[in-house]
Amino acid sequence: MTTYIARRLVQTVVLLFLLSIILFALVNLAPGGPLSAYGQGRRLRPEQAEILKRQFGLDKPLPLQYVSWLIGNDWTKVDTNGDGVADASGSRLGILRGDFGFSYRTRKPVLDEIGQRFPNTIYLMSITMGLALLIAIPIGILSAVKQYSIFDFIATTFSFAGQAIPEFWLGLLLIIIFYVWLRNPFTGEPLLPPGQMSGSSPSLMDSISHLILPVLTGALGWVAWYSRFIRSSMLEILPLDYLRTARAKGASERMVVYKHALRNALIPIVTLVALDLPYIFTGAVLIETIFAWPGMGRLYYQAAVERDYPLLMAVLIIGAAFIILSNLLADVLYAMLDPRVRYSE
Amino acid sequence: MSKKFRTLALLTLTSVTILSLIGCQAAPSTTPAANPSDEKSITILIGEDPPSFNPMVADTGYDALVMELVLLGMTDIDPNGTVFPELAAELPTVDNGGVALDEAAGSMSVTWKMRQDVQWQDGQPVTADDVLFTWNAIQDPNTGSWIPGIDSIDSVEKVDQYTFKVNYSAIYPGYLTQFGGEQLAIWPAHYCDASQGFVAWDCGRKPLSDGPFVLQDWVEGDHMTFLKNDKYYVAGKPEIEKVTVQVEPDDAKRKILMEQGDADIDMWINVNTIHDLQNSEIAKVSLSPSDRFVMRLFMNEAEKGTTDAEATPHPILSDVRVRQAIRQAIDVDTINNEIFLGLGHPQWTEFFRPPYNKCDVSRPAYDPDAAKALLEEAGWIDTNNDGVRECHGCASAEEGYEMHMEFITYSEYGEPLELTQQLIAEMLGKVGIKLDLSVVEGSVLWAPADSGGIEQSGNFDIDIWDDGYAGVDPTDFINEAYSIEAADPGSGLWNLARWKNDEFNSLIEDSYTLDEASRQETFCKMAKILDEQVPEIMLFTVPNADAYSSRLEGVQSTVNDLVTWNIADWKIK
Repeated sequence: MTTYIARRLVQTVVLLFLLSIILFALVNLAPGGPLSAYGQGRRLRPEQAEILKRQFGLDKPLPLQYVSWLIGNDWTKVDTNGDGVADASGSRLGILRGDFGFSYRTRKPVLDEIGQRFPNTIYLMSITMGLALLIAIPIGILSAVKQYSIFDFIATTFSFAGQAIPEFWLGLLLIIIFYVWLRNPFTGEPLLPPGQMSGSSPSLMDSISHLILPVLTGALGWVAWYSRFIRSSMLEILPLDYLRTARAKGASERMVVYKHALRNALIPIVTLVALDLPYIFTGAVLIETIFAWPGMGRLYYQAAVERDYPLLMAVLIIGAAFIILSNLLADVLYAMLDPRVRYSE
Repeated sequence: MSKKFRTLALLTLTSVTILSLIGCQAAPSTTPAANPSDEKSITILIGEDPPSFNPMVADTGYDALVMELVLLGMTDIDPNGTVFPELAAELPTVDNGGVALDEAAGSMSVTWKMRQDVQWQDGQPVTADDVLFTWNAIQDPNTGSWIPGIDSIDSVEKVDQYTFKVNYSAIYPGYLTQFGGEQLAIWPAHYCDASQGFVAWDCGRKPLSDGPFVLQDWVEGDHMTFLKNDKYYVAGKPEIEKVTVQVEPDDAKRKILMEQGDADIDMWINVNTIHDLQNSEIAKVSLSPSDRFVMRLFMNEAEKGTTDAEATPHPILSDVRVRQAIRQAIDVDTINNEIFLGLGHPQWTEFFRPPYNKCDVSRPAYDPDAAKALLEEAGWIDTNNDGVRECHGCASAEEGYEMHMEFITYSEYGEPLELTQQLIAEMLGKVGIKLDLSVVEGSVLWAPADSGGIEQSGNFDIDIWDDGYAGVDPTDFINEAYSIEAADPGSGLWNLARWKNDEFNSLIEDSYTLDEASRQETFCKMAKILDEQVPEIMLFTVPNADAYSSRLEGVQSTVNDLVTWNIADWKIK
């Protein structure tokens, strides 16, 4: 297993390198660019465009821009004043030395931008995913055990609705219900805040109240998805011979379902959850937009719309790394949990 | 197996706990040190975080909105287009000796006298040193920026602590707003680190205030808090003690917050929100008294894919009669009333904004029959009765060439513009002009030619978008949009029709003067030529509006600045 993991990690590095070339080319070769998305006037004077090109390093050929992005340009001289003569050492270290450049929009280091948003996204998405699992697992089990019961029909209807309802619609609906319509009977204040991470008087209760609506909106789809998966996984396992044997040996139905069946049914779920882990990094654009949550999803969307290449590349590459590593984690967990799966050394 | 499961469960639980704890730590601290009562606090909603307090860095509008809270320029512009002094003690003019003209050399110098009672929040005075510091930072080729008319400035020199002089190599009519307006503030020399550069210095995000408010805290992507600046130079102002600028990316959500009375300003509302708030008791709408952005058609007079209207004339649009017919065939009032809810104002000349709105140019009539007749006269006749005209004796196309073109707009404006595009295509279809519609990203439409920009590479027939000039002086805008130099694709400017007119060009040269009467006369001559030649078709202005809560007094939306331009004068009822 150790050799397998080591081999996969080496493959990951190669894959990320190739991905970086493809992403860099795609991002830069798309028509338009950061200068044409610049400003409310939509008209950037050529003189101003020249200054910005130089400051952003866009005056260099694309391969050189990539090299500078990857390994920096402190080993060479650059033209800082636009006279065509390289007059000073470059200041970029490159992503291999932890320098992802600066955002075109804010001129702040990209990692500072990501560092500010990343914890907010982990906070929201981990709680959303955790809550979704807590609700989905019992629903999935009960739906399978009581297949075709009223509960199963309700759960099935709910899960279809959960997967079909768009997040932006659900989010606005929840805001209208819990912020506009329903009021605290004692204070007359809205029952729940419509967004932001906290109010003007931060406290534990305040933080929780700000979490409820975005978490509910985000969790609904996941609950629907996971519960269906658990239900079908359980339905595959419940008729198997080893469970009949367990019953024949006198094990209680509770023991059969929760000890023997559930453990095996959860194996594919663990894989599924591992594959969903990148969402904890990338966030959810719509939920963050509706609930004004300062997370990674909004940051990525803004970088894409405004062609903020360094920020966009950083989010894409780090996101790609998360996806690749989550896949590796899913494979490793699968092998750990299911003794039938063995990877060749 | 069971041991592995227990281990896995433990790991999962630990991870979720750690992640939650990280999340809890990430929750922003929001309470400022002072806690003014709600009666003296307001909340302003904006769609995105401002990149900084320096609009010269990214020009998003959000930066200018917060700049108005904390930083002053030499001058600013009111909603009626009148320039008023901020840091300046008075506006320099030829009459008061502030402007010295050298007619023979075609140059001028402007001497600015500054107020002596303005100080930064740390008690240091705002002086000419700060102006020179700002100017030097802008000029830095490596880390500086660009301001209109910068190439006309030879030097900026300090005369005394509160006086400085700007020497120009040309006559520059826009000098009054060059060191102010919605874009440029004067930055503190003793606080900002020049080595970090104008566009990247830390003080751009943690500004030292000389304006009505002081930045208290900024939780990025969430909100900013400002408290009243006790050292603001106008006694007794501002009345408001605390301003929270809250980031709310969703339009619908901002409207809900305004309707619930939980926010006081919603910046830049769209036509639907204007309409929806018309009967609200809690939220009101402020419309700018004058408009800036005109929805207009750009018609390529060079063949699609080329940029020289003389060498490769457009087979259809190079004939002025066709352009005039298109103008006659578009029912501007219907578009304005049906799509823009009657909130736009029909426009037919570039010179509609004060103070240069005194030209006598009659509004072209909507007359599809006259348009058809004009097209027939131009040699465009539908002989095969398929509803699309063909060239039969037209000026620039081969016999039988169909009157069939592409009509582009940009996606970011949203539904109203796309509906406008469809309606115009329908109207032109009725006179025999067939248009294929396409919608592209603005960043592709307006990009430089070497980045695949559609307009700059001439790769279009007709497109539509909203354009207009900042400030109150149209001279540079006219020059960049209609001069012969701007028709050269190498210039990177915006004479997108590639329209060339020698008489118009000499009028542009004449307009670079400080003689207001002469400028007005020149502009009216220009208006007449534009009306006859129709290089662009102007349709109507789009409304510039902000929503405000009914408890606020003094809010006035303006196209010349952001809604916070006069926040020091706002009162809470």
